[in-house]
Amino acid sequence: MDNLDYIENYFTNTPGTEQAREFEERITTDPGFAEEVAFYLAAHEVSREASGIEKKERFKETYQRNRTVRSVPVKRLIYYISAAAVVLGILFTAYIYFSPVSPQQLASQYEKENLQTLPVTMSGRTDSMQTGLRLYNDEKYTEALAQFESILRSDSSVFAAMQYAGISALRLREYDRALFYFKKMGTRQGLYSNPAGILQAVTLMERNLPGDAARAKQILQNVVNQDQEGKEYAEKWLRKM
Amino acid sequence: MESAGSNRYTDQELIDQLRQSGTDKRRSEEQLFNRYIYFVREGMTKHALSEDESFNAYSDTILAALENIHKDHFEARASIKTYLYQIFHNKCVDLLRKRTTNKNTVHRAEMISDRLMQLSDSARSVVQTLIDKADWNRLREKLNELEEKCRQILMFWGDNYSDREIAVFLQYKTADVVKTSRLRCLERLRKLYKTE
Repeated sequence: MDNLDYIENYFTNTPGTEQAREFEERITTDPGFAEEVAFYLAAHEVSREASGIEKKERFKETYQRNRTVRSVPVKRLIYYISAAAVVLGILFTAYIYFSPVSPQQLASQYEKENLQTLPVTMSGRTDSMQTGLRLYNDEKYTEALAQFESILRSDSSVFAAMQYAGISALRLREYDRALFYFKKMGTRQGLYSNPAGILQAVTLMERNLPGDAARAKQILQNVVNQDQEGKEYAEKWLRKM
Repeated sequence: MESAGSNRYTDQELIDQLRQSGTDKRRSEEQLFNRYIYFVREGMTKHALSEDESFNAYSDTILAALENIHKDHFEARASIKTYLYQIFHNKCVDLLRKRTTNKNTVHRAEMISDRLMQLSDSARSVVQTLIDKADWNRLREKLNELEEKCRQILMFWGDNYSDREIAVFLQYKTADVVKTSRLRCLERLRKLYKTE
């Protein structure tokens, strides 16, 4: 219990530099202690999750209660509006579906939807990865790229740094460099989720040199066949390209 | 459609109430939930989610917002509605992605990253590896096996309530007593988790 108290103090109070150093050193040198720290964090998460489940149950009851109160009388006009909306919807979908879209437009849409910001944690503390992410989100892509590459220089196996370096290079329109990182990501096996394929395809579609579109199509087909991350985009794009 | 009476408070008043402790807070949570409940319908129409999925996305949105408000991470740069809608939209998109890619258990590590990020790179990597190896289902089961009071105390702790607040809710004499009991409960959970 003493260790749990010590661990809690570290996470709930702001430790001094010396205390933080001691704590972190103990994690790296004492496996039993590291396990207790991991348990503390996991137990907090599981407790948070259990509390969330209880709240959700409460919300569900409220929702069910309100749902029965909220039924609205249906008027005839609604049928006409619905019918008109359906016709317009069909026409609009047909327009969207059949109108040709360039690979570059698709890639740029993907960037807008997925690569505008990268996830930064709320912690006040900084570390190299978070610094890179903050630079990226401030649109300082050159600095962000330098930061991620510096992480890779000290440990070339950090997958997230590879991914973010590639994405930063893509934002800088340094396509060859972006492809270098995304291809490297693609060689990584055994990951739960790996967006290497879709990112390579986006880069090729945006670069749009002779042969790029055909290569992107091949990669997208692979993404679909192997059920990789980004499959829903790949399927949609293959229909349009 | 907003439920009756849910417009009585301004954003700021609602946030102030949510940051308070006690039973009023619980009422305010439900008020926030009711105020934008029509998002559920929007999730169904705009994102083609089922009612259950959309409801889940909406309640997860409220839970995430409550946590951020409690931790003072909500800076009120936008209205609560805009803030909630952004979270809700992302959750709907996540759900759609999960549905198509069948990836249901992602981002476990991200949920606890706030605390993990306090550690240096090398210490974090050690702890992260251990967390990745943890048997989460077993830990959940063991939490449910604890006696009710212990489970409650840990759930309040998981919800980031202070020991002082927990003392009020669960009628302990002081925050110090809560802390001692809470750490004992944690120790009990750890033993249960470790015992084969």
